[in-house]
Amino acid sequence: MLSSLPESFRTYGLAADIRTVLLLRKAMTRGLITTLGDVYNVLKGIVVKEPADMGPFTKAYYAYFLNIDVKNGETLEDAILRSETFKQWKETVLDEADRNIDIDMSDLVSRFLDEVHLTSYDIKEVVSGRELFNRSDADQADEEDDSINDEPVERELDRMADYSDLSLQELLDRMEKIKEQQKARHGGGSHWIGTGGISPYGHGGAAKNGIRVGGTGGGKMARKVMGDRNFFPIDRDAILNDNNIDAALASIKGVIEESAVEKLDVPKTIKTGLKRGGLFIPELSSDKNEELKVIVLIDNGGYSMAPYIRTVQNLFRKMKTRFAHDLETFYFHNTVYEYVYKDERRTQRMPVEKLLSYDKTYRVFFIGDSAMAPYELNSSSIESLQAIVKKFRKTVWLNPEPLRYWGSTYTIQVMQQIMPMFPLTPHGIERAVRKMNAKGGG
Amino acid sequence: MAETSYWTGSEKYLCDPQLAQAFHMARTLGMPLLIEGEPGTGKTELPLHYAESMKLDLHVYPVGSKSNVEQFVARFDHVKYLRDSQIEILNAQREEKGLDSKLSTGGRNPEMLADYVAKGPAARAYGSPNSVLLIDEIDKAPREFPNDLLYALSHRKFIMPESGEEVSVSEEEMPAIVITSNREQELPTAFKGRCIYHYIHFPDKEVMQQIIDKHYPQLDEKVVKVALDVFYHLRRLGLERAPTTREILNWLKYVREASPQDAVRKIEGLEGIGALIKTQADMERVHRMLGSDPRQFSMN
Repeated sequence: MLSSLPESFRTYGLAADIRTVLLLRKAMTRGLITTLGDVYNVLKGIVVKEPADMGPFTKAYYAYFLNIDVKNGETLEDAILRSETFKQWKETVLDEADRNIDIDMSDLVSRFLDEVHLTSYDIKEVVSGRELFNRSDADQADEEDDSINDEPVERELDRMADYSDLSLQELLDRMEKIKEQQKARHGGGSHWIGTGGISPYGHGGAAKNGIRVGGTGGGKMARKVMGDRNFFPIDRDAILNDNNIDAALASIKGVIEESAVEKLDVPKTIKTGLKRGGLFIPELSSDKNEELKVIVLIDNGGYSMAPYIRTVQNLFRKMKTRFAHDLETFYFHNTVYEYVYKDERRTQRMPVEKLLSYDKTYRVFFIGDSAMAPYELNSSSIESLQAIVKKFRKTVWLNPEPLRYWGSTYTIQVMQQIMPMFPLTPHGIERAVRKMNAKGGG
Repeated sequence: MAETSYWTGSEKYLCDPQLAQAFHMARTLGMPLLIEGEPGTGKTELPLHYAESMKLDLHVYPVGSKSNVEQFVARFDHVKYLRDSQIEILNAQREEKGLDSKLSTGGRNPEMLADYVAKGPAARAYGSPNSVLLIDEIDKAPREFPNDLLYALSHRKFIMPESGEEVSVSEEEMPAIVITSNREQELPTAFKGRCIYHYIHFPDKEVMQQIIDKHYPQLDEKVVKVALDVFYHLRRLGLERAPTTREILNWLKYVREASPQDAVRKIEGLEGIGALIKTQADMERVHRMLGSDPRQFSMN
């Protein structure tokens, strides 16, 4: 039971393994799981390890437990509306509901979500809040159950109240059965969700008792997650933007140089000396040293670069605050002649010679689209660039222009001959950093 | 039996149901709860208020760049030990010379190694059943700290240095462990794997209003509404450092002494906005976008 869960979840890029299943089982034995919403909650706590996992997790959950496959870029609502599971569920709802009532599809999806994400916490709240389900109600339900079968909701309510008595094996069997039924599209009978399902306070109950079980926002959350780009794994080949900036930052971390030196560890020497009753023997420790020296040259001239400048600045600023090392930023327009500029408005000039006097261990990032009139890339400019590349052996150009245009832009091709060029995407940055590190020396 | 009732917050602390459920789950499963989220979303507040309202012992370990497991669990005080054993010798010598007065070891006995073990928050928490253990801002720790911690936490047992004393706790009496992180550094996957993870989302207007209400129940409704409008507007500006819950509470603290009309006027005039905006660049941006009078930006 549930043995296929890790495999299925892993296809969504989630870290799930046998321990996930064991923990889930443990949660069941501890009475944490009585509804499908609980499964979602518990699994979320176990499987989701960062905000970006939320989207894939919700997807994996809907696919595995409800057989609802959310396609890339599709909203959860659309996926639900399209699914067989929802159609079946809708049938049963419509069977019970007054057919004369106009039913809004979006409302129906909300209800569906509420049922899927109904947790035992919600139920507890309802039960303790309204004391709706006292013994007499349950007895009544039982009687009805004997006579006619159109009141399954109350019957389930009663069973719900006694769910704690259900053994683990029963619970597992039940889940397995329901999952199978959900898979075999001709289901019928009891479903995960719906009248005979695991969520007893479903639509019928809500309508009859006049209470709306809203859930604690699980449904709202799921809906949000599927539509929110923040919750999806970053497309590492997308041009750098605010959403994938952290992925880029992770790639760029690779430029930190680590070195270790042995040095006398005075506190440790004293400590161990004291332990030995006053016999002091020098203790050495290796002192790890992280070095990051970066020069960033940003092309902020012209409209073509405008959309990227802020993100690029953000990226390097984040890099500076997170790793707190030596970072210099300069600006240029299209290409570098004799000067680069210290400020964004390009008023404070700094001669290239001065730039060349920086320590040669600096890594240099050019960021620009390298699109300019061919005459701009004249000999003086090429000389400057070549001098920079010669001095700083670890120099790369990051280009926000889509890769497919590179071949058709003359100035890009020239620039590529001067220094290695990579796309301004998390993936491209990673490759650039790898290239820098591979060169060695510097 | 472990304290595993479902806790939903106290008078002063509004616990988001999702967080309350994750916390309940972590306690029921006897696993640490790892909370991440923007600064100022009340990550640290959860265990503090939980311990207070449930009257449980609270042990806090604030993590810093120099944190190590020794501090967290226990360390042996070699200096004190050395001093006390010297005192023993001294006392023996004094006795020989016929001196009555003895130097004191402060009730510690060098024969008893346990007397020299200084217990850290983890050992103390494991020593008192059903306590609460907060490991605050674990992302500030050196890289290897979380992994060292992992071992310590998953065995429910610490062995005290030198004395060999064992501090252990049954699964039922396991302290509720809450770990917070600001995501300044990624935590090792193995570490995250042993925790129940919860990410706190920034509260929306409605929830924020309830939070404010818990802190300043006497505040005029209109003042809160105006302040919230300004606050969420500022958050939407895409500032370098967006204001958080802590900041709006501070701001309201600043204006709450005034009469409601004055307070509204102050908020609308962005008076004391220094409580919300924390960098010069952001301040200029706010100024540019809201076009306010820069003279009002000073905090009294």
